[in-house]
Amino acid sequence: MNERLERYKQGLRSGLHKSLRQAGRIDTLAGDELQAECEQQNLGWMQRSARLTRRQCEAERVVIGPDERIVFTRTLIDVPPIYSKAEWEKVTGQRTLHELGPISNICADWGMALAQGLNGRRQTALAARQRFKDDPSALEFLDCAIETMDAVQGLANRYAEAARQMGRNEIAEILEQVPANRPRSFHEALQSLRLLQAAVWLSGHYHVGLGRFDQYMWEYLREDLESGRLDVAGAEELLAEFFISLNKDSDLYPGVQQGDNGQTITLGGVRRDGSSAVNELTRMALRVSCDLEMIDPKINLRISPDTDVELLCLATELTRKGLGFPQYSNDEVVIPALVAHGYALEDACDYVVAACWEFIIPGQGMDVVNIGAVSLPAAVDRAIRAGLLAGDDFEGILARLRADIGEQVQQVAGRYENLLLPPAPYYSVLMDNCLENGRDLSLGNKYNNFGIHGAGSANAADALAAVRKFIFQEHSLQPSELLSALDADFVGYEDLRLKLFDDGPKVGNNDDGVDTLLVGLFEAFADACENYGCTSRGGILRPGTGSAMYYIWLAQGHAGMHEPVVGATAEGRRQGQPLGANLAPTQGVRINGPFSTLQSFAKIDYRRVCNGGPITLELSDTVFRNPEATRQVALLVRAFAQLGCQQFQLNALSLETLLDARAHPDLHKNLIVRVWGWSGYFCELGAEYQDQIIARHMFNLE
Amino acid sequence: MTSGIVFDIKEFAVHDGPGLRTTVFMKGCPLVCSWCHNPESQWGQPQLMRTANGTRLAGSLYTAEQLAARLNQQAALLKANEGGITFSGGEPLMQAGFVAEVISLLEDMHIVLDTSGFGRERDFRLLLGCTDLVYYDLKLIDPEAHVRYVGQDNRWILRNLQIMSEAGVPFVIRVPLVPGVTDSDENLAAIAERVAGLPGLQRVDLLPYNKAAGAKYEAAGMEFKPDYDENRPLNLNTGVFERAGINVRIA
Repeated sequence: MNERLERYKQGLRSGLHKSLRQAGRIDTLAGDELQAECEQQNLGWMQRSARLTRRQCEAERVVIGPDERIVFTRTLIDVPPIYSKAEWEKVTGQRTLHELGPISNICADWGMALAQGLNGRRQTALAARQRFKDDPSALEFLDCAIETMDAVQGLANRYAEAARQMGRNEIAEILEQVPANRPRSFHEALQSLRLLQAAVWLSGHYHVGLGRFDQYMWEYLREDLESGRLDVAGAEELLAEFFISLNKDSDLYPGVQQGDNGQTITLGGVRRDGSSAVNELTRMALRVSCDLEMIDPKINLRISPDTDVELLCLATELTRKGLGFPQYSNDEVVIPALVAHGYALEDACDYVVAACWEFIIPGQGMDVVNIGAVSLPAAVDRAIRAGLLAGDDFEGILARLRADIGEQVQQVAGRYENLLLPPAPYYSVLMDNCLENGRDLSLGNKYNNFGIHGAGSANAADALAAVRKFIFQEHSLQPSELLSALDADFVGYEDLRLKLFDDGPKVGNNDDGVDTLLVGLFEAFADACENYGCTSRGGILRPGTGSAMYYIWLAQGHAGMHEPVVGATAEGRRQGQPLGANLAPTQGVRINGPFSTLQSFAKIDYRRVCNGGPITLELSDTVFRNPEATRQVALLVRAFAQLGCQQFQLNALSLETLLDARAHPDLHKNLIVRVWGWSGYFCELGAEYQDQIIARHMFNLE
Repeated sequence: MTSGIVFDIKEFAVHDGPGLRTTVFMKGCPLVCSWCHNPESQWGQPQLMRTANGTRLAGSLYTAEQLAARLNQQAALLKANEGGITFSGGEPLMQAGFVAEVISLLEDMHIVLDTSGFGRERDFRLLLGCTDLVYYDLKLIDPEAHVRYVGQDNRWILRNLQIMSEAGVPFVIRVPLVPGVTDSDENLAAIAERVAGLPGLQRVDLLPYNKAAGAKYEAAGMEFKPDYDENRPLNLNTGVFERAGINVRIA
């Protein structure tokens, strides 16, 4: 990183650019101005969506910083509503909205969008207009799409003009070429992507993924390197500036916590034909990310058991710095799982990771990958209670458990049967098939599946194992005593709680007994999803192994959550204590170590669970004290893939640093950590999340 | 069939040898180093550790078969990743017969012996015969200082050092840097002199003092009484090794 970039980065972290934002929306859209305009002109929903993109682009004030070579700084603080509250109720009626409503957490076909440019997309839209000239809704959609393209182009034009006037000719030339046309260089490609992506956020979408960056950007970089227009250092400088720019406006983006914005890039893996996709840009992106140490873009690396150890060592350098990424996905397991769930092999080979870990197909995936969760601990708890009261044997409890999981799946999916996706004319431009078919993205694309998290799996398996061992095998525990203890939250039953917690079999120890129960939980979950059949969107349900924030919510409750909250549980867990996050042993239990943990979780049949969800391991940062250790960590990642696991999230944490950051946040402003599926600045997280990270399972190697 | 007492089996040990590795910590040690950070390793029998988080037993009895079976569960994984098993402790030489039998029951794997070198010649030769790499501690060359800080004479240790070199087993010298005790120029120079040119020497690792050394004493029912100043800055004198042509690093 050179001086220019260092200045740029520091300026960003200190928030100088925020003073350029338009406070109070002077000269721009006041809170209800846009919706009033839409109402007055009697615009339909599609038209309002396009009008939103247009007005936002028009209202954006041009900002060109003295150090910038890739421009765009967002000056609008938020996205105004396009309907009044009353109108919104009428428009959405009884339909279910997903999270905040707008389409989110998918990935555009950035390669296509860059290569065609807005002019190319406009040609496509115009051609479609001809084909669909007798279809009014197609025409409306296409006209709206064109309106959004004109708006984004207008924004680019204003930036180009301002740059000319300021004598910033390099920038002006670039913006006179892109995003209108195919980029002629790596620099132009980065600029085009920056602007095209920023406009998606402006339009009210969020968790805007950047996909297989090293794949679609490679042709531009390769041309530059081969022609000598750029050398590696020059390319890295541009790439670094692009990465820095992704961090500029992210405090404005919606998300559960600061940093939860889904600006994910998915590197490496295989091509659509199955051959290795790793290229020089894969490595460059890792190096630059390591150098910059910022939370965006979030790096995902697709690997296989054959991935070069040197590449894994480079990736481990990021882990060593505590960035909270990369997250690893094992192509050998993910691709067959997607194919088993109806994805075409070629598309499956092209998968990317969404905001957290879920798999999605760029350009063609209109999956909603996180419609809710199944609480495996609640299913186990209810099955145990009912079963013990009824005098069931262990098989009887398992039968109740399977039924409960089935019921939970029905409820989660049932709530989404009348999902309403708002029109997204601009996003449609960037996706495949929409313009070509005259159909807005909100009506679906090639893939329209739903993803459901399977949370608390280790806790659930441990609870089942404890019941089996102490009640049914050893007969050292009476059902009535367990039930009383659970009702009392173990108050007065501390000895029993310790016996369950310390002596019960635990997932994470490569113990076939309890691991078989873990496998069974996901079999039941997958069966239930399969039995559900087709959804109203013509898609299927995808069970996953992740937990997202449910590892806390299912234990402590959450406003508006429909999923069941569970109290004290039979693995010796007290009420309110969080569950394991994603795939991880029950918090606080004694585990043999990382190898055993990987071996336990390797037993899951991942072909049946394709929504994703990483094995999460925390290593003490003292692991990285010597260079040999970097290779050892890289080998651990390879072992994860060799064992046939699906996803892996490895974090390096210093307990000391975290405690100090808790006590003195101003001394640790740049401390980055990982919470479930994303990285954030520790000191910007809510207290409960900070506590969670501190308490989380660590392999302390001292 | 022999049995032995082990106080820890640590998966993914990164400082005990190459590749993916599991380290077995044998309970019982003939030395009483003032800086020992595993106090529960000294006594050979299982003992209770009483902490704020409850009580647990440190030390489990394994038959050779049981321990080998446990370790073999991961043999394929370790072998496929440049790794293997390390026997440490405590002092493995005190349970040499057991350790040797365990190794004989393991699938073919890379074996590291992490030892103080304080043991009988025949026990040492027994384990040398089934070890691929030795991590060999050298603390203090001066015999009186050695008795004072470590509790035993160092003659056996220096003799076994020669035996190891002559046996042709590659080794790494590990020097715990204890402030004001082992990190003097004199001691480091004496160590360098002792090992320079020995066949089989791979490198010397200088191990900076672990300030959390005293953390487990209370739980083990012992008293941490360092007769040195824990906070004194360390003398990281790698130069004396480099000048002797020895590959040295600070671990």
